[in-house]
Amino acid sequence: MNTPRLEIQWSPIHSNKFITWGTEICLYEIAPIKDTVRPSCIKVSDTTVAHLLATNSSHNYVKCIDIYPIAEPDILLAVGQANGRVVLTTFGPTAYDSLGLTGKELIPKHARQCNAVAWNPVESNLLICGLDKYRTDQSLLLWDVHRTTSNTERLHHYNTGQTDSIRPLAEVAISETVHSLAWFNNEPKCSVAGVNNKHLKIIDFRDPVKIVNTTAAKSVFNLAVNPHNDYHLVSHIDNLITIWDTRYFEKPVLTLTQARPVLKVLWCPTRHNLLGSLQKDSGTLHLHDIQHYGVAGEDAEPGALERIVSPPWTTTPTSFSWHPTHVNRLLAISPQGLTDYTVYERITLNWSTRSHLVWNHASKSYKYICSNDNIYKGLNDISILSNRRALSGYGLLPELSQNGELAEDDTLKNVWQWLYLSRSLVEDGTIPSPDNKHPGVRTVLKLDDPITSTFITKSEIVHRPWADIGSNITAKTYRSADRDKALQLCGWRFEKDTNAPYNNLFLERLEREGAYPRATAISVFNLCLRQAIEILNRGASKMSSSANFNIVAMALSGFSEDKNSMWRELCLRSRSQLSDPYLRATFAFLTADNDTYENVLNENGMAVEDRVAFALMFLSDNNLYEYLQNLSKELCEQGNLAGMLLTGASLEGIQLLNKYLEITGDVQSCSLISIRALSPTLLEENQVQVWIESYRNLLDAWKLWTQRAHFDIAMKSSINDNKSAVNKQMYVSCTYCGKNVCASMQGIARTRGPFGRLGSTSNKLKMTACPSCRKPLPRCAICLMHMGTVSGLQINPTNSNRNEEEGKLTEFNDWFTWCQSCRHGGHASHLRNWFQQHSECPVTSCNCRCSSLDASSKIKVGAT
Amino acid sequence: MFEAHSINAEHKDLIHDIAYDFYGQRMATCSSDQFVKVWDEDEHENWHLTASWKAHSGSVWKVTWAHPEFGQVLATCSFDRTAAVWEEIVGEGSGPGERGMRHWIRRTNLVDSRTSVTDVKFAPKTLGLLLATCSSDGVVRIYEAPDAMNLSQWTLQHDITCKLPCSCLAWNPSLSRLHPPMIAVGSDDASPSNGGKVFIYEYSENARRWTKTDTIASINDAVHDIAFAPNLGRSYHTLAVATKDVRIISVKPLPDSAANGQARFEISTLAQFDDHYCTVWRVCWNIMGTILASSGDDGCVRLWKDNYINNWKCVAVLKGDGTSAQSSDNATSATQNSNHTAVQPALSTTRYQRIVPTISMMAEMDKVIQAPLSMNSKKYQTSSIKGRSNKWVMPGIPSEAYFEPPPPNIAKSKNKK
Repeated sequence: MNTPRLEIQWSPIHSNKFITWGTEICLYEIAPIKDTVRPSCIKVSDTTVAHLLATNSSHNYVKCIDIYPIAEPDILLAVGQANGRVVLTTFGPTAYDSLGLTGKELIPKHARQCNAVAWNPVESNLLICGLDKYRTDQSLLLWDVHRTTSNTERLHHYNTGQTDSIRPLAEVAISETVHSLAWFNNEPKCSVAGVNNKHLKIIDFRDPVKIVNTTAAKSVFNLAVNPHNDYHLVSHIDNLITIWDTRYFEKPVLTLTQARPVLKVLWCPTRHNLLGSLQKDSGTLHLHDIQHYGVAGEDAEPGALERIVSPPWTTTPTSFSWHPTHVNRLLAISPQGLTDYTVYERITLNWSTRSHLVWNHASKSYKYICSNDNIYKGLNDISILSNRRALSGYGLLPELSQNGELAEDDTLKNVWQWLYLSRSLVEDGTIPSPDNKHPGVRTVLKLDDPITSTFITKSEIVHRPWADIGSNITAKTYRSADRDKALQLCGWRFEKDTNAPYNNLFLERLEREGAYPRATAISVFNLCLRQAIEILNRGASKMSSSANFNIVAMALSGFSEDKNSMWRELCLRSRSQLSDPYLRATFAFLTADNDTYENVLNENGMAVEDRVAFALMFLSDNNLYEYLQNLSKELCEQGNLAGMLLTGASLEGIQLLNKYLEITGDVQSCSLISIRALSPTLLEENQVQVWIESYRNLLDAWKLWTQRAHFDIAMKSSINDNKSAVNKQMYVSCTYCGKNVCASMQGIARTRGPFGRLGSTSNKLKMTACPSCRKPLPRCAICLMHMGTVSGLQINPTNSNRNEEEGKLTEFNDWFTWCQSCRHGGHASHLRNWFQQHSECPVTSCNCRCSSLDASSKIKVGAT
Repeated sequence: MFEAHSINAEHKDLIHDIAYDFYGQRMATCSSDQFVKVWDEDEHENWHLTASWKAHSGSVWKVTWAHPEFGQVLATCSFDRTAAVWEEIVGEGSGPGERGMRHWIRRTNLVDSRTSVTDVKFAPKTLGLLLATCSSDGVVRIYEAPDAMNLSQWTLQHDITCKLPCSCLAWNPSLSRLHPPMIAVGSDDASPSNGGKVFIYEYSENARRWTKTDTIASINDAVHDIAFAPNLGRSYHTLAVATKDVRIISVKPLPDSAANGQARFEISTLAQFDDHYCTVWRVCWNIMGTILASSGDDGCVRLWKDNYINNWKCVAVLKGDGTSAQSSDNATSATQNSNHTAVQPALSTTRYQRIVPTISMMAEMDKVIQAPLSMNSKKYQTSSIKGRSNKWVMPGIPSEAYFEPPPPNIAKSKNKK
């Protein structure tokens, strides 16, 4: 070996110092990185640098080093050399000089290589060194560094010429080679050594025989005692790592076969049962987590979790050292440099249904973020949004369009508004559609008719004049009854039979909302140029920011039909510079050639309903058919909910919703739109059922029981058109006659018999007997009154929400409630109060823990 | 600076799994200290440790909650080769005004495995009370409790042999009746030559058995965790896989394929991210399957979101200690290693150069408390194992080997389609 192997070791007594040795011994201090990295520092990680404090190059044949384990400001090293001498040395003058330790040499009788040296961790004056074999000489020597102090004159540590030999305290291992050795931490006189490539020997220096235990083992290198458990040893040879238990020393308790020869293996001092190993020519650090290290029974099979990490070192390290106290921190050395690395513990994580994300920070703590945190808000999580919408009653408001307002999303708002529009059109008979309340444009035009895939009604061509500019130029438009209905679906309302008159209410609304370009475009498409210019002028006066409305209006007023006019030429050229899609479309329409309106129809910035309406007016039957086909296909592929205009509440609409769901995950809107808009047969679709189930599941997980009940009611009522009402699942029957108590009560209420005023009287009449057999109803377990009595004083009998209560026979507080398990019960409010503080049944002899049987109810048991 | 909320873990060793119940208000954790702990959230959103017990005689790998419809039920699996089902009951002690202490009792111990049981999962509740376990000898077992009221009786329904050691499994949570019950199983076998490491099993109603219907061939490296995204009615299943990188796989059932014997699924990789350096440990979806969280060897938790059709992006990075590494905008650049070449001429002892990672979590961690080595003489129910190999790599837990060069300074490709 030309270049000695580079080794590294943390100081056991300083948390920020370490030494490296190869040709010379260097002492470093590690510190957090500062803004200015001094040139004398070596960067060892992103956050730390190492300062070289001192070097010691006076020992040339360093074989092994151990650091004196007593906390002193300075570092004392025991250096084992190739000639077998162990030299105590320091970096410069230190406190050890006065003790006479510095520079002391421990010389064996015969010179041979020193393989291992180790300070006793408890009795710090003891030092053992392991040597190569020399005839019949002992190779394991125990020294007491203090003992001979008096005999030795002090020498400067650079002086290596000391000849006054110190006798070792004990000598063992005759004609054996000691490869590695280690002290036991809790037995100060015992050590273990790997000898002769075939044995591990435990030596007790109190015992004259000395060798107290031995085992045959090939793995004799890097022997080390588990810092957390004196019984466990590790050693290695070639590609085998063996773990030993001194109580069961005959054979290794665990052998880990590695893919490559092992360079170094060390117990992690900060974690239990964790070994780190380096392997030859491998850039990875191997961690062995020894599991279930039982030795009691033969069956208890230990194992090791292997984990491989790739710290970002450049080349294969030759050695490494765990930090004595910092968790999982290590330093590695290679000819190219040093690396300071901390192995991260595995992080496990989980995400709750209420959007808490939790993970573990080592084994110390759990960290979690929840939906209120800023970082979570930045995620735009649809589940948070859905939860908020569900709480606000989204999708369940009676007026369809109101739901859109709650969504706070333009696309959804448009959909709900369109659902409202289409329903009102169907309901007032404008569009006859018996089984589908929300027909799409394609349905209205009978595009999807299975018999004929083209129009049934042919459209007539109408040449409409530009009404208000006084010219006789006409534009070619198409009219048919179906087209008119479809136009209405798009929100473009026509007066019946008249040509131009356009419902100005719509335009006025657009103006109010500040959508001047859109109003302009729609006016122009309706051939009302003057009106469009007026709108623009009004817009220019209202909105100062977009002052170019005036200029656009000016440009519009120059409209000329002449195909070669300069106006036209310029408009074509500068059209693309307009930022507003509606204004672009306006000019595209005015400059269009030969009835090809590509630039209008493909203007994606325009709302889908406007584009479709435009197509309905200006495209011939064939072109319209083709355009609608392409557009609906495109919108379906994009999952654009505006496509509902075309598909309506149909199978295709379900596909569209599904695509929207796949993109956004918004199962809430999908299921709510389904139950509000789809016909009962379409609701039976598997896909729709899955949405509904998933959404109900979500509401369950969020404990939004009320919302879920309302959802179920809305769902059932949408099926109710042709099916009977939901079956009752529970009846209260009289214990004596078995007749249904409620049923007869309902009957009474309806016939306005003797109890007819029950619901409306302020002072409720008592109904404490079975209506059919007149036997008393059971008693409430709390108040011991017969059921049917009110459960408490009515504080405000003449209350305001009488209307809501009108339909109910009795208030919920007075209603029957009972445990499914022990069958005891009483007034709902009484029981609720009882179980707020108790988990056991109120009936004296009953031990049923009624309330704890329900998993989702939580009582504050033993919270403090 | 953002700081995550923190709960003192009180485990004495590595924490292997954290599970939330259906409502997200209870939490169960398990650890190498062989304990399982249950935490409850109070009305002020503080978490309290309400139960802690020694559940196994080895490291507890996974813990999972059953649907609350079946009661308060947990399942655990362990290195001690068993899986167990636990139920919380209210004690029978009846002092005056006694409200009854709750405690957890072991309802059953599933001892069929001969090796470490690496994962345990309850089936979606629509399938009944079913439990799937997988073990490092490559066997997936499906247990059923025929009577949901009697949790001490579980029958081994199916016994599926995978060729490779299993590390994780996931039930497909789809509610659609059109999808047969489906399980995905991952293997942490490290050798790429053994082929794909994620298997898909489906239950055939006609044959009354589970059959392997597909293998995700594109994943050859050890798999540490898999998770199906909540389906919500999408036409495809999304599977997140933790291997040497984060993979997001779409599994789309093909119509009519069962009849003509063609592939059952169209499997495609939607995204692949190697930001976690060499190993990804866990993956988990949010409730709607729109955001994926992953953790890995870089000590960070990363969140991934689909911005528009299959355009997955990193939206947040959280360090293990709960601080936010960076906001979503510069998430990409943050993982880049600094590549410093520090030459120090002043002392001229040596020339060093190195590449160091963005690591900063270490300083404050305390010494790990003494973990009990399980010296208790609990015997295992199983007989001795045939063909024990010397190396006992337990694949259950994320721990596997890659022989890879150390990561170069990482210029991440964010988003491979």
